[in-house]
Amino acid sequence: MLEVQNLHKVYPNGTRALTDVSFNVEDGEFLVVIGLSGSGKSTLLRCVNRLIEPTQGKILWDGVDVTAATGAELRGVRRRIGMIFQQFNLVKRSTVMTNVLAGRLGYVGTAGSLVGLWSAEDKAQALRALERVGLAEKANARADALSGGQQQRVAIARALMQNPQLILADEPVASLDPVLSHSILQYLEQLNREEKITVVCSLHFLDLVHRYATRVIALKDGQVVFTGLPQEIDKARFKEIYGEDAIEVKAGLSA
Amino acid sequence: MSTPKPDRWRALRLTLITLFVALAYVFAYRGSFIASGSPLDPRDLLSPDLWAKGGPLLGDFLTPDLAARDIEPVTLQLPVPVPCGSAENGAPAASGPRLVPSVPCAEPRDKFTVEGFELQPNTELQLRWRLPSGQYFPGQFITTDADGYFSAEFEARPIVATKDGVPGQIEVELQVEVGELKPSQAFFDVLDGVIVTIFMALMATAAAVVVAAPFSFLAAQNVTRRGPVGTAVYYTVRTIFNILRSFEAIVIATLFAFWVDFGPFAGVLALTVVTVASLGKLFSEAIEGIDPGPVEALTATGANRLQVVWFAIVPQIVPNFVSFIIYHWDINVRISTIIGYVGGGGIGYYLAQMINTGQDNKAGTAIWAIVLVVWAMDFISAEVRKRYT
Amino acid sequence: MARLSLASLLLPGLGQYLDGRRARGLGILGVILAMLGLIWWSLIPQHLSLESRPIPLKGDPANLAWLVVPALIWAWNVWDAARPETARGWIPVSLASIMFFVIGWQAAEINPPVLASNVDRVMLIIRPMLEPDFIQARAEEREGWVELLVPCPAEAPMTTAGSDHAIGVALDAPCGSVGDTLTVTATGLTPDVGVELIWQSPIGDFFPLRQADNPTEFRVEKPDAQGNLTTTFVVPNAIPPGIDPTLPQEQRLYIRQSRPLGGWELSTNGRFILQGIYETIALALMATTLGTLGAFPFSFLAARNLMSSNAFTLGVYVVVRTILNIVRSIESLIIAIVFVVIIGLGPFAGMMAVTVHTIAALGKLFSEVIEGIDPGPIEAIRATGANWLQIIRYGVVPQVVPAFTAFTIYRWEINVRASTIIGVVGGGGIGFFLIQWINLSDYRAVSAAFLAILVVVQVMDFVSAKLRERLA
Repeated sequence: MLEVQNLHKVYPNGTRALTDVSFNVEDGEFLVVIGLSGSGKSTLLRCVNRLIEPTQGKILWDGVDVTAATGAELRGVRRRIGMIFQQFNLVKRSTVMTNVLAGRLGYVGTAGSLVGLWSAEDKAQALRALERVGLAEKANARADALSGGQQQRVAIARALMQNPQLILADEPVASLDPVLSHSILQYLEQLNREEKITVVCSLHFLDLVHRYATRVIALKDGQVVFTGLPQEIDKARFKEIYGEDAIEVKAGLSA
Repeated sequence: MSTPKPDRWRALRLTLITLFVALAYVFAYRGSFIASGSPLDPRDLLSPDLWAKGGPLLGDFLTPDLAARDIEPVTLQLPVPVPCGSAENGAPAASGPRLVPSVPCAEPRDKFTVEGFELQPNTELQLRWRLPSGQYFPGQFITTDADGYFSAEFEARPIVATKDGVPGQIEVELQVEVGELKPSQAFFDVLDGVIVTIFMALMATAAAVVVAAPFSFLAAQNVTRRGPVGTAVYYTVRTIFNILRSFEAIVIATLFAFWVDFGPFAGVLALTVVTVASLGKLFSEAIEGIDPGPVEALTATGANRLQVVWFAIVPQIVPNFVSFIIYHWDINVRISTIIGYVGGGGIGYYLAQMINTGQDNKAGTAIWAIVLVVWAMDFISAEVRKRYT
Repeated sequence: MARLSLASLLLPGLGQYLDGRRARGLGILGVILAMLGLIWWSLIPQHLSLESRPIPLKGDPANLAWLVVPALIWAWNVWDAARPETARGWIPVSLASIMFFVIGWQAAEINPPVLASNVDRVMLIIRPMLEPDFIQARAEEREGWVELLVPCPAEAPMTTAGSDHAIGVALDAPCGSVGDTLTVTATGLTPDVGVELIWQSPIGDFFPLRQADNPTEFRVEKPDAQGNLTTTFVVPNAIPPGIDPTLPQEQRLYIRQSRPLGGWELSTNGRFILQGIYETIALALMATTLGTLGAFPFSFLAARNLMSSNAFTLGVYVVVRTILNIVRSIESLIIAIVFVVIIGLGPFAGMMAVTVHTIAALGKLFSEVIEGIDPGPIEAIRATGANWLQIIRYGVVPQVVPAFTAFTIYRWEINVRASTIIGVVGGGGIGFFLIQWINLSDYRAVSAAFLAILVVVQVMDFVSAKLRERLA
């Protein structure tokens, strides 16, 4: 279980990104975080694996205090939390295989990994991960030779290499067209259901939220303004979260 | 928003700036128009004397010494019996290089005129007597005109008298080009210099890469500038790069020449130092310009700092690094052409020697070789960079 | 596939070339040709003359063994020609690197141990370099002297004493032999300020007397409170070799006192440094200005898009471009050598050299800017019936001014650096003094010159950075 308690984040330039954010995520949930851009979604997700240092507050994961972890302990926490990014964050000039294997870095020794010695097991696992996202035949291609959707699938395969118990997905489909959005989220849903991996995902489009989330929290100006089931978000709530001028954009298959 | 300044302030500022610039140029003019220790009047530049001096020099530079024929000494002789009748008179040839005395024979202490025809033009030759004993008795030096003609007064000394029926002979020694045209000595010397120069640049660039690559990470904000120690390291390395970049390689070469003696090694060391500074700066800027996404992604997998650098940063910077390295090899070839001038070694050393000894054709050969090599390096480096990135 | 291998067997890279991998094919051919040429070069013996240095590896038959490297690459290339998918380049690249670096190591006479074995030389120059010779404490030098004959002549000699600033010097004997102990009395000194005893040899060389018990240190004596000094000294052997030591020679003992006046002043070398810096900045500024003005017209003539309208202008383009390229590849230092011979030593020769190089370098950069401009406005202005000059004035110049300015500032930075060294060949500026101090091993002055160069380059870089900010 992931517990976020009274989390605050103030950036050095004075921007208050998160103010007193508290919520829990049960194991096996598909939690979606919604909110305007700049509402603190990205900061929140990055605080969970400490890519960003929270200013105040506590994050407990399986009883371990993530906020207090340092050095090797922190890397131990991180390697069990997969992360997927809006811009995929692949090393574009490296091969797909190398990108996927990089997900194992938290598990292997420094020296061996630096000279490129990977165990047969790791390689086999990488191939399985790639098969799982349907890209096994692209293993030796360079990452920048792939389309956006394919790159995001490689990123998912990289996260899988961590054998994660939790996946953080920061706007995983914001750079993709609607068709690809569904395919990526379906992979995440599949992992959530079959492997019982908890997913915390920030999303932009309401119909995607309705389709995939088991629970939703909404952020506005760094504060939690809503916690509940996706069905509870109707037009009125939506306007409350996104402001008066917002119009619901459909990311449907027909779009 | 500041309130707009009154117009007269602006006018005053403009006047002051104009005045400052004008003053700067007055001083710059007085400081730079100095030649041979005294102020130089720009009108002197139009004087024909200056051009008369520069013209032949430029002409020599523009006619490189590339090929030559083998040179063989050829002696031109004609018997002139002293006294007359002591031996048979010589008969001058009718054509070709020949010596023609005004008299067929002479008495001791007689003076006569010797003319030379169809010899090498504009050449200094020695007119002399070949004695009956086989030794020679030196006479005066003469210079032929543009047609290879000379005329000189010559004295029949008693020592040249006929002995045992063998008459003395007047003679000149000519340097005659024979055989095939082949690459001259200067060509081979310049080739040696050019190859050593290219290798000096290669070795310096390689050594500089080995040093600059790790240090450039220390001088990159996004890698190093974390915490007080990181910030201190960052500024220290940056400052060192900056200081070293202020000095031209040739200045540093003089110090290394003192340390390790004159020679290519001193030049290589100096080039290495300036290349480390220059590459270090370019490398660190390349590192600062990377996409931070992969760094974030790999940090999130639990990878440690070294692994993040190796897997997320290095693959992104390799093309830039390769391009900078090739570019610097190209630059270093250019610099090492002059580094030899003070540090010894390579084509610069040869050029300095030729200039100092006044062998301007050979200096010209070296300059043309430099142009050619720099050009070729420019072309190759541009092509390789284009293909690689 | 076998056909491609066969082609590559006959001529390295041909198979790859025919397969459409042209760069790879040409690269392989180029590398193998370069290797064969290099091996040929290393085998022919070097002709040594007075002006050349021996190159260690030249003429050594063992170099023939390097043929194995091109042979291996040739073999690899045959294999590579048939396998476009799997072939990786690391084999030939590492082979070639090994060969070029080993030969380069020999040709460039790389010898790292000498860095360590000669480290005493570094120590020798580090100490003076820590005390840059730029300013000195203000002081008044005063001296007095007394003349004596060494050794004593047969008849009694006269003793003459000379002095300025009222230092009187007297000896207890008018002459002496080498090794004699004499007593000297000096009056009119500043009380309690150290005094140096300096000997002048018969040929006019000066050398300070050394302490008897510690010959590495010079003698410094203190006068009493009235400014009088009485001390003994041993007559040194100052007769140069080749002169009969029994012949009486006039020699002198100088009493020299440096009286501090308080405060600081520029030392002699400090004044030279200021002059050098002034010349450096002056010639850099003049050269950049003249160079930019000169490059401007050439850049239009060297811009393809402006010059390709007919055969004549295209010809001008080719000629101008070629000349710019040739001049650009000759370092300004080499151009300076020519100008020094023609015009004479001094900043003007250096300024001309930097100007010429600037014209060529900026001319090319400017012309590339012009080639990269938007042709739309040119077309529009041409459509109004404007002539060539009008097109340039209204269609081209407004588009290129920002880039021209940026390149000029960039060139200014390069020229400041170049001006610091142009004096090495006699072109004026700080480099002129620097190279002389290096030749004289005056490392205190060298160090001051280095600092001055550092300050000038940093300040000029700062100025141009500010200028760039303002103009951007």
